[in-house]
Amino acid sequence: MTFDWSVVWDNRWRLISGAEMTIVLTATTMAVALPGGLLLALLRLSPFRVVRSFTTGIVEFFRATPLILQIYWIFYVLPAAFDIRLSEFATALLGLSLNVSSFNSETFRAGIQSIRPGQWNAALALGMSKPQVLHKIILPQAMLRVLPALASTWVSLFKDTSLVSIIAVADLSYVALKIRSETYRVLEVLTAMAALYCLMGYPQAKLVDWLHRRLKVAE
Amino acid sequence: MGRRVAAPEDRTAMDVDISPLIENWQFILTGLGFTLSLSGLSIVLGVGIGLVCGVMRTYGGSLLDTAIGLYVDLLRSIPVLAILVWTYFAFPLVIGESLTPFSGGVLALGVHLGAYVTEVIRAGLTSIRPGQMRAALALGMSPLQAIRTIILPQALIRMLPPLGSLIVIAVKDSAIASVIAVPELLRQSQVLAGKTFRPFEIYTAAMLIYFLICYPTARTIDQIYRRFAPLGAS
Repeated sequence: MTFDWSVVWDNRWRLISGAEMTIVLTATTMAVALPGGLLLALLRLSPFRVVRSFTTGIVEFFRATPLILQIYWIFYVLPAAFDIRLSEFATALLGLSLNVSSFNSETFRAGIQSIRPGQWNAALALGMSKPQVLHKIILPQAMLRVLPALASTWVSLFKDTSLVSIIAVADLSYVALKIRSETYRVLEVLTAMAALYCLMGYPQAKLVDWLHRRLKVAE
Repeated sequence: MGRRVAAPEDRTAMDVDISPLIENWQFILTGLGFTLSLSGLSIVLGVGIGLVCGVMRTYGGSLLDTAIGLYVDLLRSIPVLAILVWTYFAFPLVIGESLTPFSGGVLALGVHLGAYVTEVIRAGLTSIRPGQMRAALALGMSPLQAIRTIILPQALIRMLPPLGSLIVIAVKDSAIASVIAVPELLRQSQVLAGKTFRPFEIYTAAMLIYFLICYPTARTIDQIYRRFAPLGAS
């Protein structure tokens, strides 16, 4: 077996455009899933039992089923059963956002609940309204605490975007797998794909480790 | 009776027909069997790798620490999908030996999981105060004895919650092995959905089956941890 690495260099622009799609998809999903997760977290702290159980059900469901199946479900079921047609990118974004929002909501909830109840009581006693307490007292502290966990989710999301290649969104995996089937340079292309992910993912993972050390909570 | 090959627009929005599921229950059950054996074996492999690498990384000196650190960081920054396709399609070219989808899946998922388990084990081991190790050594125990009888039992209890999430993640990640054609639950569902044109019923059923595996598993591990948590405190 001889290896011909020029195939990677020859296709560099396609690989780079795939990597761009991966980054765009990660950033867009997170931009949706941060407010989405916060909303779900607040709904889970709602005074109404029905709202709480319903949100908990949704969150637990998305956390306990494979993301790849969620993407398939949205891709095949929305058009066939509900006649809703979305582009591949929109399908991918919807699937990833629902999944990551569920994970983020748990993070936010843990962050909000980690603030001692005395702070709630004190703020309410000072005459602040509940939304005010949340906005001025609780959330600013909670956000800082959950930052490392959110950053970990970001890195997972970055890797999970590779799953959208199964519905033909032209991300790094899709492009690489396509080049592989066009050129038959399996080892070279797949190694380049793994290396590119690693090259992008490694600094992010290190940054997250640093954030975890830097923002360690000691109360 | 022939299969219904209705175009989507011929159908009302929601006519649920679960007969494809009932007729093909064995086909789905085979998939479930593969999902369970694939995730089970990859958990065994991953925990095995993690235990060895975690202990070596914690107590094995700086050279082992660096080497294992490289393995951990490498596998944690590459998507499972990329590891799976690399193991199944590219790795055989390196070793000159072809892999079955199932063994490729177990290998890829196990080695991937091993990196995460290594970190959990290391965090657990280092969370036990160093004084305990010194005390055990002073009593004349060998380092391995001390790890096995003093450190690990306490550390394992502390590691239960993160290990539990890793087990659930392993079951969910086994679905990604469908891309290398392991006939597990998702793959079988795809085949069935393609044959019967009933994606809604079939993918929904698959989703429910995964939920029924993962959710109780997570809850059970939580319960076990709550029951034993005091034993891990020191």
